Amino acid sequence: MSKQRVMFSPVTRLSGLLSVDAVLEKGKIIDAKASSTMFRGFEQLMRDRKVTDAVYLTQRVCGICSLAHGAVASYLLDEIYDNNLSENAQYLRNVMYAAEFLQNHIRHFYLFSMPDFVKMPERPPFQGQNLTDARLNPEDNQRLVGHYFEAIKAAQRAHEIVALFGGKAPHQHSFLHGGVTVAPTADNVNRAVFLLDAICNFVKSCLVPDTELIAKVYHDYFKIGITPRRLLSFGLFRFGLKNEVYYFKGGVLEGNNLSLPRLDLISESITNSWFAMNNGDLQPDPHKARAYSYVIAAKYAGQYFQVGPLARMIINGRYNGGTSTMDRIYARTIETLLITELMRDWLMRLQPGPPPLAQKDTPIKTQATSVVDSMRGCLLHSAIIQDDQVVKYNIITPTCWNFSPRDAYGQYSPVESALIGTEIPRPDLTYTILGRTVRSFDPCLNCGTHVLDLKGNVKQELMI
Amino acid sequence: MKKEKFSELCRSLAQSKEHELTRAILPIVKKQMLKNNKSKLPVIWLETNDSGDNNISFMNTTFPYLGQVLSDMIDLLYSNTFMAAQGPDALNILNQVSSLYRSRFTLVVEGAIPLNSNGLFCSIALTPNRPVTALEAVTTLGNQAQYVVAIGTCASFGGVTAARPNITGSVGVRDVLSSRKVINVSGCPVNPDWFVGTLAHLLMYGLPELDKLNRPNLFYEYTIHRHCQRRSYFDNKDFAEKLGDIECMFSQGCVGPRTNADCPYRQWVNYVSWPVKANTPCIGCTNEDFPDASTPFFMPLNEKVSSRAPQVLFKGKELSDE
Ligand code: SF4
Repeated sequence: MSKQRVMFSPVTRLSGLLSVDAVLEKGKIIDAKASSTMFRGFEQLMRDRKVTDAVYLTQRVCGICSLAHGAVASYLLDEIYDNNLSENAQYLRNVMYAAEFLQNHIRHFYLFSMPDFVKMPERPPFQGQNLTDARLNPEDNQRLVGHYFEAIKAAQRAHEIVALFGGKAPHQHSFLHGGVTVAPTADNVNRAVFLLDAICNFVKSCLVPDTELIAKVYHDYFKIGITPRRLLSFGLFRFGLKNEVYYFKGGVLEGNNLSLPRLDLISESITNSWFAMNNGDLQPDPHKARAYSYVIAAKYAGQYFQVGPLARMIINGRYNGGTSTMDRIYARTIETLLITELMRDWLMRLQPGPPPLAQKDTPIKTQATSVVDSMRGCLLHSAIIQDDQVVKYNIITPTCWNFSPRDAYGQYSPVESALIGTEIPRPDLTYTILGRTVRSFDPCLNCGTHVLDLKGNVKQELMI
Repeated sequence: MKKEKFSELCRSLAQSKEHELTRAILPIVKKQMLKNNKSKLPVIWLETNDSGDNNISFMNTTFPYLGQVLSDMIDLLYSNTFMAAQGPDALNILNQVSSLYRSRFTLVVEGAIPLNSNGLFCSIALTPNRPVTALEAVTTLGNQAQYVVAIGTCASFGGVTAARPNITGSVGVRDVLSSRKVINVSGCPVNPDWFVGTLAHLLMYGLPELDKLNRPNLFYEYTIHRHCQRRSYFDNKDFAEKLGDIECMFSQGCVGPRTNADCPYRQWVNYVSWPVKANTPCIGCTNEDFPDASTPFFMPLNEKVSSRAPQVLFKGKELSDE
């Protein structure tokens, strides 16, 4: 049987625009290229602006994880201005960050991933679903469809918590350098607790059992979409006077070897990205030969690493499964449940008082790099400033790790390695199977908007 | 079709073979249903270059919740974010519904349209032969739609995607579809009420009354400043000394005096707060010149324009192709 090209475009139910160009031979995917088809150029946009604009501007990189960009930009500014964070500021920031995680993970599971496994009603926006491998019995299927609509409310409530403390969502206003501009008060903390109760209920009575059901019925997906066991996390939920403590630890896991991440081992490659060097400056080049994506490849010690909830949960000893499609889905749900519990604890620790904000006015550094995990994995912001103006701003998003094109040595990114080798028993299953694996990474291509290298800018070891 | 004519048709074809009756009647019934079915708005939603914040904000709608909007208000026929279909199936649906609902569908565009490099900085899909650029898709579908709605500031005016130096040459939908009316529902992101309210108006009463930037007056008629809870502080020149204070945020960069939107009384995400209530400035995200006229965000409005930094030229470090 000859080779057959599979153009999986558009990959729907995600953030942004993604296509996968694959080759099928003898019932097996033998090649796959993940292609981001959008470019916005955020780093150029950040130049010559005040560095304090970064918190609001960089949130506009991504709508579904905007708070993560605001957070990492705030940590960056905390370092540049040498701010001290009060305990209330630390708890409040992490309550908001946790709420943003909940909306993301709930929306991903139900709105984006679930129609890969559950037969949806035959009406817009579900018409033409073409789910060729629906396995749930009618009662289970019906129940999960109902949960789709409950998930909408649960995720909305998570964003309501963000808005309560942050003014609005997406693109909250209060989580800034130096702390948070909104005071924790009896009424807003109480309201957040009740919203969280409803979300907890949903997570425990729907998300967890639904994940278990899907993992059981589609058990073969623990053997599909497996990536090399190279996992990376920067750590998540930063606490401490100087944001120096990470609640979930960062780590580099290769096979069974765990070490601490070092920023000086991160590099970027544009070999197959639509970019070219032009007079020493990096410019987009949509006509570049062989290139196939606007995502720039991020590598650690010269290799591709998978990032996201699975990496975090394995590195922190909260999950001991493999690196398959179903493992990625499963770990995300485990993390969601964990976060609901943490968040309740942090809410309870808030003390009523004035807005926990203390911003200093004068930069003590001209460059800084800050890292944290966002929902989809490792996120890095780095700035060089002159006075308080940005000379250079660099962003490396999780998409640059999971969805990068291959490098000069032909290494595959996590998503490509997960797809290559996948068996397609019948042609009509092609998109169903590919879709499940691609979405297990929670793709977000709005984030693949960045440029510029880090080499030479970052030399410190991560304090984790 | 008159009742008599209909029964005559039925009678004359009743005995015929090869389903002639069905074939004759079905299109008529379908036409009639479509004509009477004013209760739902057929919508095609294209995501182009933005952060995806507007579809997330849309998910935050309450009363009606998203589930109700999808089941009772609109038929979301194509949407990269929500549709169950994927890959070529999704593109086929786009082709089918755009011709089946021609001149009756509402085109929603989320994101700016890059014009440089023939639009190649944003493609909504790839086919085996060529990319389908946002520029091409918006131009084609925009001219077939009954209404065109730009959701968010990127789609309305270019927004953050078109902020200086705008190397992608991004513009709002109005610049791509200059020959027809584009309803701008700006905001970064849009407030779900502004968007769902606009759809409701189209559904129930047709085109809403628009301001000079083609935004529905219903939501954008007055400035933030006019209805701001802190207006008495402003009038008494009682300005906040720092972020987090309870006084007027003008001193902290508030753009409320030149921004049209109803945030002070509508508020966000189930109506719980808005930026000034969070003790921070309004950054004018519904404005035509957002974000460039709003930055530096924390500098008082009267100083912003004169503060533009001189162009600092910076060459990136060497980045090899390995
Ligand atoms: S906070 Fe802003 S909108 Fe409110 S009164 Fe002051 S300047 Fe006007």
